[in-house]
Amino acid sequence: MNEEMYIQEKVGKRNPFRVPDGYFDNLTAQVMQNLPEQPKRRAKSVFMRPVFYAAASVCALLVAGAAWMWHPTTEATSADAVQAKTVALPQQDASGEYIDEAADYMMLDNHEIYAYLAEN
Amino acid sequence: MDKRREFESIVREYSEQLYWQIRRIVLTHDDANDVLQNTFLKAWNGFDNFHGESKVSTWLSRIAINESLDLLRRNKHLASATSEDLSVASSLMADDYFDGNETEAMLQQAVAQLPDVQRTVFQLRYFEEMKYSDISELLDTSEGALKASYHIAVKKITEFFKSRD
Repeated sequence: MNEEMYIQEKVGKRNPFRVPDGYFDNLTAQVMQNLPEQPKRRAKSVFMRPVFYAAASVCALLVAGAAWMWHPTTEATSADAVQAKTVALPQQDASGEYIDEAADYMMLDNHEIYAYLAEN
Repeated sequence: MDKRREFESIVREYSEQLYWQIRRIVLTHDDANDVLQNTFLKAWNGFDNFHGESKVSTWLSRIAINESLDLLRRNKHLASATSEDLSVASSLMADDYFDGNETEAMLQQAVAQLPDVQRTVFQLRYFEEMKYSDISELLDTSEGALKASYHIAVKKITEFFKSRD
């Protein structure tokens, strides 16, 4: 390669760098002195574990499912009275009525909602 | 053999060779010494996971080159943050541990201006006369790509000198 020859003729390949006197004599000892007694094991990041992703996916599904289950339908939320009662539902959790009432609300159809509104 | 003793014999065998690889990239003795220490620290911490998939020299050189290039990137950020703009050649000429002439300092400046891969390939091929197959294993790049990088590096360095003649 002509251009490589040009560089070789102009500059050569000599190593122009130097080190302090005795640097290489003490290098091994210096390196070993700076090392910990035992290799440090690198902790694997939790985000790298497939199990973490699987668990996170299951949790996300459960949260999404719960949110869908415990929230009234769109029609129901538009009705103030029903909404007010729905908001009050979590406070009844301890009494055991929460699940029954939530189930009732989930089974409401439009007709029943209108009837309920008409009553109030 | 005790693990630490085994590693010590590796340090003894490869430290000087690695030092020169690192020094040609980072240029100053202090930086080369720091990078060398970090290289062996990383190697020691990964020693249990090294099962001889590659040669010990290749494994160490790979760490050393990555550490060297990391240092250059950090220094580049630092230099741009402090608006430091000393030319490589003039810094080298003022360095006690550089006894080259001005042309040799200019070659280092030309090399320092190359992108990382071209710079590394040039140093390994031109000064160490390493085979492309070995560089390929070291940098995990195809021989064809390395030959192209070397060719471009040589061309740029030649143009650098010709533009100053």
